[in-house]
Amino acid sequence: MAVIEFDRVSKRFGTKEAVRSITFRLEAGQAVALLGPNGAGKTTSIQMMLGLLKPTQGTVALFSHDPAHPASHDRIGVVLQNVSVPERLKVKECLNLFRGFYARPKSLDELLDLGGLAEDADAMAHALSGGKTRRLQFALAMAGNPDVLFMDEPTVGMDVASKRHFWDSLRSFVGEGRTLVLTTHDLQEADLMTDRILVMNHGRIIADAPPEAIKMQFGGRQVKFSSGAMGLAEAIKSWPGVLDVQVAGRQLAVLTQDSDALLRRLFLDGHDIRDVEVGGGGLEEAFVRLTREDAPV
Amino acid sequence: MRALWSQWKADLLRTVRDRRFFAFTLVMPVGFYLIFIHIQHGTLQIAGTFWSAYFMVSMATFGVVGASVNTLGVRLATERKSGWVRWLRTTPLSSVGYALSKIFTQMVLSLLIVVVVFLVARLDQHVSLSAAKWIEIVLWIWIGSVPFAALGVLIGMAGNAAQVLGTMVYLALSLLGGLWTPIQVLPKTMQEIARVMPTYRYAHPAWGLLANRGIQWSDVLILAAYTIGFVALAAFIQRRMEAKPEAG
Repeated sequence: MAVIEFDRVSKRFGTKEAVRSITFRLEAGQAVALLGPNGAGKTTSIQMMLGLLKPTQGTVALFSHDPAHPASHDRIGVVLQNVSVPERLKVKECLNLFRGFYARPKSLDELLDLGGLAEDADAMAHALSGGKTRRLQFALAMAGNPDVLFMDEPTVGMDVASKRHFWDSLRSFVGEGRTLVLTTHDLQEADLMTDRILVMNHGRIIADAPPEAIKMQFGGRQVKFSSGAMGLAEAIKSWPGVLDVQVAGRQLAVLTQDSDALLRRLFLDGHDIRDVEVGGGGLEEAFVRLTREDAPV
Repeated sequence: MRALWSQWKADLLRTVRDRRFFAFTLVMPVGFYLIFIHIQHGTLQIAGTFWSAYFMVSMATFGVVGASVNTLGVRLATERKSGWVRWLRTTPLSSVGYALSKIFTQMVLSLLIVVVVFLVARLDQHVSLSAAKWIEIVLWIWIGSVPFAALGVLIGMAGNAAQVLGTMVYLALSLLGGLWTPIQVLPKTMQEIARVMPTYRYAHPAWGLLANRGIQWSDVLILAAYTIGFVALAAFIQRRMEAKPEAG
């Protein structure tokens, strides 16, 4: 079943085109990341999914309905960017407020547990620390026991320990067969949390694939080594699977889809190479390459 | 309905905890009443009634206008600025539900202010009216507060300027509308200005009821026109604001 459908959706703000004619479907049970640099159109897209913005052209459907209609909001939970919690309400009162909005809410204890806020139930929500505020926002998003969770840059500003804890909660959410849609420019997050990545840049979707495929297609691994041999860099460029070769003095940095094959050939051919390092690759490089190649129109 | 009830409970709770609200909207009208009633004698005759009753209505309307224009405006501006309103729009609570909750909360506050000011006048100045008259006046001040709630919503759209703007509008309307000084003692130009102020049109029927005059339709019509104007302007600004991008 389609949770979200975008059909040739564009969004203009004045003369600035934030989203340019994008089309995609998100199915129930998927964990999807909208990945891209700032200004790529991720937040605009997620706000259209939630009915906070109307597309200039095209149609957006949430559960086959108009996302602006409150009735389609009973099964979703949302964490937005730059939102603070209200003043003069206790943590448990905030949670009860949200619980009252939904037809089948989770229990208060369950939500306090999810946010790790059991000890702060009677604290004023507004006075919580930054990290706890983020956890409260997550608990509020879960108040309606949602089938679909939307998160706009959920881990911005979180420390490493909070991120870990948060990712664990998300993983168990996805493990229950529910749908997760998040925007992020944290590549590790997209790779860890989702099974499908839509890479956005300049308002377009420039790649749509599982994280592994994105890494394979655009990333590869980086092999670094030192060598005094003349012409080796030039020769390697034509080897199968090699994407790029950078030379800095005696050091070569080879980007390849198959680091094992590259190393095997280097050793079997008897090249005099030292200080071999294999690393990097992954989504970070894929992302840099993707967004570099897709120059603005 | 459930969502509205949940929102209303939270709004009431937050309002009761708001010290600013008590300072501005309860202490001020009650304090002014006690001060000014002892400067002029309460038994003074004015507009067919006693000064003690006349000024009781003045201060009740002054308090309600303050709660609506200033306190409501600032509260709405804060909720908008913090992104909280945007978040609520993604929940099953409809924007109508949100607005109704704010209006119902405001109505409870208005009633509280009127009752407190009237109680003070009754206890301190022994203002005495028939039961029917008390109810009529309370009901008018209560229901007639609608245009000021609409003005509060409008001021709530002013963002960071809401606090200053709300206080200025509140004090200017109260002064020019004759809520502090009866317009009978003001120069003629000021009287003409007062007659087009919503605050004057709001208090005028209540003063009239004190002197056994009925509610005049011109007052109701002018207040209705103000309400429509404020709501239309708020809707226009709302649409303009939605066309602006967020970050990312």
